[in-house]
Amino acid sequence: MATVTYLEAIRQAIWEEMERDSRVFVMGEDVGVYGGAFKATEGFIHKFGKERVVDTPISEMAIASAAYGASLTGLRPVGEFQFMDFISSAHSQIVQILAKSNWRWGAPAPLVLRGPSGGGVSGGPFHSQNPEMFYVHTPGLKVIAPATARDAKGLMKSAIRDNNPVLFFEHKFLYRRVKEELPLKDYTVEIGKARVHREGRHLSVITYASMVYVAQEAAEILQKEGIELEILDLRTLLPLDRDAIRATVEKTNRAIVLHEDTKTGGIAGEIAAIINEEAFDSLDAPIVRITAMDAPVPFSPPLEKAFLPKVEDVVREARRLLKY
Amino acid sequence: MATKKIEAPPPASPESKSQSANGSKVMPAHTGAKSGQPPVSKNPHGIPDWRLEQLPFHIESEWGDGEYRYKIVGDTSAPVPPLRPSKYLGKEQTIELFRYMIVNRRMEAVLESMYKQSLVIGELYQSLGQEACSVATAYALDKDDWLGPMIRNQGSMIVKGYQPRATMMQYMGKGDSPTKGRDSGSHYGDPKTLNVVAPISHLGDSIGVLAGVALGARLQGKHVACLGYIGDGGQSTGPTYEGFNFAAVQHLGVVLVVEHNSWAYSTPVELQFACKDLADRAIGYGVPGVIVDGTDANQVYDAAHEAVQRAHRGEGASIIEAKFMRMKSHAMHDSAHYVPAKVKEYWKRRDPIARMEQYLKEAGWMTEARIAEMHAEVERFINEERAVAEAAPMPGPEDAGTDVYFDNAVDIPVKYGEVRVKNANKNRKLSESSAPGHYK
Repeated sequence: MATVTYLEAIRQAIWEEMERDSRVFVMGEDVGVYGGAFKATEGFIHKFGKERVVDTPISEMAIASAAYGASLTGLRPVGEFQFMDFISSAHSQIVQILAKSNWRWGAPAPLVLRGPSGGGVSGGPFHSQNPEMFYVHTPGLKVIAPATARDAKGLMKSAIRDNNPVLFFEHKFLYRRVKEELPLKDYTVEIGKARVHREGRHLSVITYASMVYVAQEAAEILQKEGIELEILDLRTLLPLDRDAIRATVEKTNRAIVLHEDTKTGGIAGEIAAIINEEAFDSLDAPIVRITAMDAPVPFSPPLEKAFLPKVEDVVREARRLLKY
Repeated sequence: MATKKIEAPPPASPESKSQSANGSKVMPAHTGAKSGQPPVSKNPHGIPDWRLEQLPFHIESEWGDGEYRYKIVGDTSAPVPPLRPSKYLGKEQTIELFRYMIVNRRMEAVLESMYKQSLVIGELYQSLGQEACSVATAYALDKDDWLGPMIRNQGSMIVKGYQPRATMMQYMGKGDSPTKGRDSGSHYGDPKTLNVVAPISHLGDSIGVLAGVALGARLQGKHVACLGYIGDGGQSTGPTYEGFNFAAVQHLGVVLVVEHNSWAYSTPVELQFACKDLADRAIGYGVPGVIVDGTDANQVYDAAHEAVQRAHRGEGASIIEAKFMRMKSHAMHDSAHYVPAKVKEYWKRRDPIARMEQYLKEAGWMTEARIAEMHAEVERFINEERAVAEAAPMPGPEDAGTDVYFDNAVDIPVKYGEVRVKNANKNRKLSESSAPGHYK
């Protein structure tokens, strides 16, 4: 066992997959000699050669479309976006070409597009966004957003081995803040399966990515009051693990959906609808959404703090629901 | 009855050796119908212009009688020049190429009548006047090469190996159509055998895909040509630039055929871009560019052939600008009333099939009677294709939502072979990154 960060876990996953399977290659801006803006591919070019570590012009459109084109020849490209905010520059490729490819003309597209998303680092409105829901709304894609180093590595390996286009939203706040011991031998984490991050009896917090840790802090505070939170880490946003959502609500009878994405059209609404469809009779209280404000992500620390969901929000809402 | 495509003519050995790196050098004639090539001129930016005439007019908008309309500035009465003899096409190939053009035209004529009988669902997009460009470019491709058609390039798809019934069934929403009724028109493809990238409606988005195909093939040790099209309207999009710039900088064998068909829906080229020739963009990309008369299949073929051979040699991307006019409207609902009548007449005299017929007769390669016979044979063939398409079943409701994802249990093989890398330190181990990353 060795202790590795969330970022190193992702590096290891891609490195090991490239060692295992010569069809895997990476492409993106500054991924070569420089090793990427966050150093996810540092050293890769020397190990695997410039043919398999392709520096691209500044064009997310070209990264997405060329990765897709290469996948049509049976390769398994991993495209990097320096920040997931820039995925909007490849939106047309992703939703029009990649997502519809197998359904429309029987052309599977085994590729991964990955990069850092999320706030908390004063990245401002163009380096902090959580654009996952544009893609959760697009059939044909798979969307992943891990919270732990172990999941980041295991899900990245699954994403690379998957025969479909996978969007992999890494959380930049977690890159070097989260560390854990990982198995030395090869392992994967199944796409489409949520994980109970913390067991509890009284209330479920359904969440993902960095908000798992906000929920965890809240759980520790509430534990002292005798309130046990169960934290369900979704890990995959498309396809959603409906069974896990139903199971946790049936167990605790109360649910908070917590995410860093903005509220309107965020996945909390979808999850509330799933609970309504599958576990309505189990509910003892209304479903509560705790999310970022419906506003762009602000730059200055006091503004960003106000914008993001906080531990105290979860504590307050949990107490209220328990009294409902 | 369908004729099978014979292999594209093999490149003559001297030509690959003697061609300069930028692909612009004029090749020695060897199989052409006539000896001696008319000289190739250059445009003001040094781009070779193979045409035997330049357009002596342009379009401007005019205000009169309380309305705007388009008017012609210049003369449209110029006589039609002969075709430029091909440097590469021999008799049999020229005749085969000619047949593809009439198959393309006849198929669309039948589709138009099917549209009028409400057998075609939705819209119908036609390529009257564009057959030489679609067919002759695709004819330059080998089996391993890729094609990235657009909505009017159904002729190129027939050359690449599809039967007309494929496009017909697509337009009828049939369950046996290549997309099982999920998409229409030329929006189909085949990544396994025919190597055709299914187009989407968003213009320019396929160009980066073709670059990626060439990149993937090159990683597997194979230089393929990936020939795609963009219109005078579509080239205005960002994806066109981003996709083709990637091909250019990576020296990938993308052949971009810029189909200057003079109208983007109803917008004339004068409102689409400010440069005179779109082939000038080649200078900015750092690739060879060439201008051809898009109604002259010989010119189109020769330019495509040279660009394809260049791609096969691993020398990178090329641009071919083919100038012609879309002779039908944007789609069936559109009357194209905005096209000045004299412009239409000018291009009608330059009909690519009529010009090719003239060329074949003058070369002594086909008689009037033989040409008529071929038209009749193609008419029978298309009628048979229509009957097959009409008899095909409509899709069942179960086909709407299946195949959204591909099965993970199925292995997707590489198309061309093992990935090859020139320089790599295989023994290097992964060590933890200590370099500072973006943001703390």
